[in-house]
Amino acid sequence: MAASVRFDDIHEGQEVFSASKVVRREDVKAYADASGDQNPLHQDDDFARSVGFPGIIAHGMFSMAHLGKALTDWLGDPAALKRLKVQFRAPVFMDETLVAKGTVKALDPATRTATLSVWAEVARAGDRVLPIKNSEAVVELA
Amino acid sequence: MPLNQALKGKEYQPVEFTVEPDQVRQFDDAIGEHNPDFRERFAPPTFVTKMQIMTSGQAVLDQELGLNYALVVHGEQEYDYARPVRIGEVLTATPRIADIYAKGPNDYLVIEAYIKDAAGETVVLARTTLLSRGTAGGG
Repeated sequence: MAASVRFDDIHEGQEVFSASKVVRREDVKAYADASGDQNPLHQDDDFARSVGFPGIIAHGMFSMAHLGKALTDWLGDPAALKRLKVQFRAPVFMDETLVAKGTVKALDPATRTATLSVWAEVARAGDRVLPIKNSEAVVELA
Repeated sequence: MPLNQALKGKEYQPVEFTVEPDQVRQFDDAIGEHNPDFRERFAPPTFVTKMQIMTSGQAVLDQELGLNYALVVHGEQEYDYARPVRIGEVLTATPRIADIYAKGPNDYLVIEAYIKDAAGETVVLARTTLLSRGTAGGG
């Protein structure tokens, strides 16, 4: 097991993780099969175009899973994550690079918990687009 | 057609779910999870979504609700964890319609499920907000 993050090692405003993943069609198919969400929006380009997208998009939960993994990779201790709340605000297209990030928003020394601002971003046509925004995680640290 | 707000508060049947090692392994592979804690002892935190997909059908497909799944977008997802989900354990999810409201042209449906272990202790509270595009009739 990875060493666990300690409460005393972090401070408000600190960026605590940044994890990139290139979103491939085969990853999205594997996620559909593993999660059981077989919505054609995530597998069938013709269907995706019929509802206004240029092609298939990743599941919102695909991006949340990447964010969750970035969090637990950073934390080390599987029991440290107490809460994860996300808002899905933009689609993710194939072959984009999805970056999950987290910064420390607030610390509570009495309970050794930290509230993090978390989000996922992609670079698209010169802009920074946030498929997951205004989201938070609460972690309880050693 | 707007969603039927009379269903606010409706609770559905509890559904039992075994956290099968093969399913957790498949999920780990799909999300690139290599941490041995998650591969051997616990399901990764967002594995709960699989449980929700397998247990929330009775709510989203409820004829009285009037939800057209082709118009649905996943708006928000929230998990409160009491502890990690253990591989091999048997959990029970009881879905409930926590809220239905209209905002602008869209309807919002909030489905909540307390996921409990065999001892009746809550392991995870899952809350999903679905957006039904254009069905509210507002502007």
